[in-house]
Amino acid sequence: MSEKWTITLRAYRQKEGEATRYDDFTLNVEPDEYVLDAVERVWAFHDRSLCFRHACHHSTCGACGMRVNGVEKLTCITLIRDVTQNGATLKVEPLRNFPVVSDLAVDMGAFYRKMETVGARAVLPVIEAEIEHPATSWDATNAQYTRLSDCLECGLCISACPVAATTPEYLGPAPLAAAQDRGMRRSPELLNIVDSEDGLWRCHSAFECTAVCPSFVDPGRRIMDLRKQVIGVKLSRIFGK
Amino acid sequence: MNNQPSAKKFLGWFNPLGRNPGSWAFILSRITALGLTFYLFLHLIVLGRLTQGPEAYEEFLALTENPLVKIGELAVVGAVIYHGLNGLRIVFTSFGIGVTRQVQLFYASVILAILGTLVFAIRMFAG
Amino acid sequence: MTTPSTFQPVSGPRPGETAWLWLVKIVTGPLLVPILCLHLIVNHYLGSTSSGLMTYDDVIAYFQNPLIPAIEILFVTTVVIHSLVGFRGIVLDMNPSRPVLGAVTALLVALGATAIGYGIWLALTLVALGA
Repeated sequence: MSEKWTITLRAYRQKEGEATRYDDFTLNVEPDEYVLDAVERVWAFHDRSLCFRHACHHSTCGACGMRVNGVEKLTCITLIRDVTQNGATLKVEPLRNFPVVSDLAVDMGAFYRKMETVGARAVLPVIEAEIEHPATSWDATNAQYTRLSDCLECGLCISACPVAATTPEYLGPAPLAAAQDRGMRRSPELLNIVDSEDGLWRCHSAFECTAVCPSFVDPGRRIMDLRKQVIGVKLSRIFGK
Repeated sequence: MNNQPSAKKFLGWFNPLGRNPGSWAFILSRITALGLTFYLFLHLIVLGRLTQGPEAYEEFLALTENPLVKIGELAVVGAVIYHGLNGLRIVFTSFGIGVTRQVQLFYASVILAILGTLVFAIRMFAG
Repeated sequence: MTTPSTFQPVSGPRPGETAWLWLVKIVTGPLLVPILCLHLIVNHYLGSTSSGLMTYDDVIAYFQNPLIPAIEILFVTTVVIHSLVGFRGIVLDMNPSRPVLGAVTALLVALGATAIGYGIWLALTLVALGA
């Protein structure tokens, strides 16, 4: 028989014009279910007015990002066992640094627009992909092959970033990582966007983005690499190369 | 909960709860930066006493025998070592070196700063 | 999607806030590390007071080595620039308006120039006192 836990799911609630509050729901769960399953159970059996975003249930759409006990998680792949214990409370809140539309759903519009601004690639040629352990070494003959970008555009990195908390103008980790993916030499038109007051020099190397990224994009490392690229391009412009 | 980014949230940087080691490094770096900047200008002003002759300067030196002043000086030494080593960590990672080891580099900076401060503490109190 | 975006940047690049100030901080930082090591060891460890600080005579004698005032002048210049550029970075993170940031920058430049000028004068005075 599968293990059963009783947990209290404490959900952040905010409806337009109403004061914010937390609602507690007592749920019977299996610890190897996911946090999103618990949130859906609240909606299905306790409160149909609970608002949250989700779609694919397998970490591809990036819609179900929330803060679970204060830490940014993609709830469809976060095991209940990993974030709470039997009899304990599981607190779910909307992502930080995005306007709350309703309850756990936030407005990602400005973030998507920033991704558009840097021309984030959803699909890229495998020969341009940074794969840590490639199954094979790619060369020019593999140029026709493509792969999906690692970034799910879930916004967890924006929520965790201490700089993004202070200004909506800051490009933020995912868009900067997307700019790094496009490359300053391949896409010099991005230089003025990332090399600006709201660009990559605002990053304070806290690496919170990398810590919460559910898809191994490693935005922190990519921002550092982007710095190297930008300095390289600027120096070579000065020296006329 | 005000969920919008706001300049007022910069104070939130100094809250280490629920944060990762990279943030702790940043928080410590920023606190030591502010402390050292204040100390730098204080230090420059105080050193002006050197130009007023030996008595003026030795009178100031006598103050440094106070244990509280010594502890303050040790705090400066620790802050300098940590800020310097963490600064090197930032420089290296900014150029793509050691990014995947940034957490270990932070811990190394803290440990070395503590050890360095201990060496100065022994010199100050037992020397 | 590899075609350049038709969207305008969320925030237009603001001139004067590019890589260069960051680079100044990142270059002066590592330069300060060896100088500060020397400074801490000589001035706060090897000095002849019981706690390792230099006495007045120590300082004056130390400054008679021509390398020392040169190093100390380089030190004061680098450390003042590094600290004030860093301080401005903190101010920048509080998203000041353009005029406020301009005023802060002007103030810091004046403060920095004064501090560096004072530091150089101090170093040269210490050399002269021992002559």
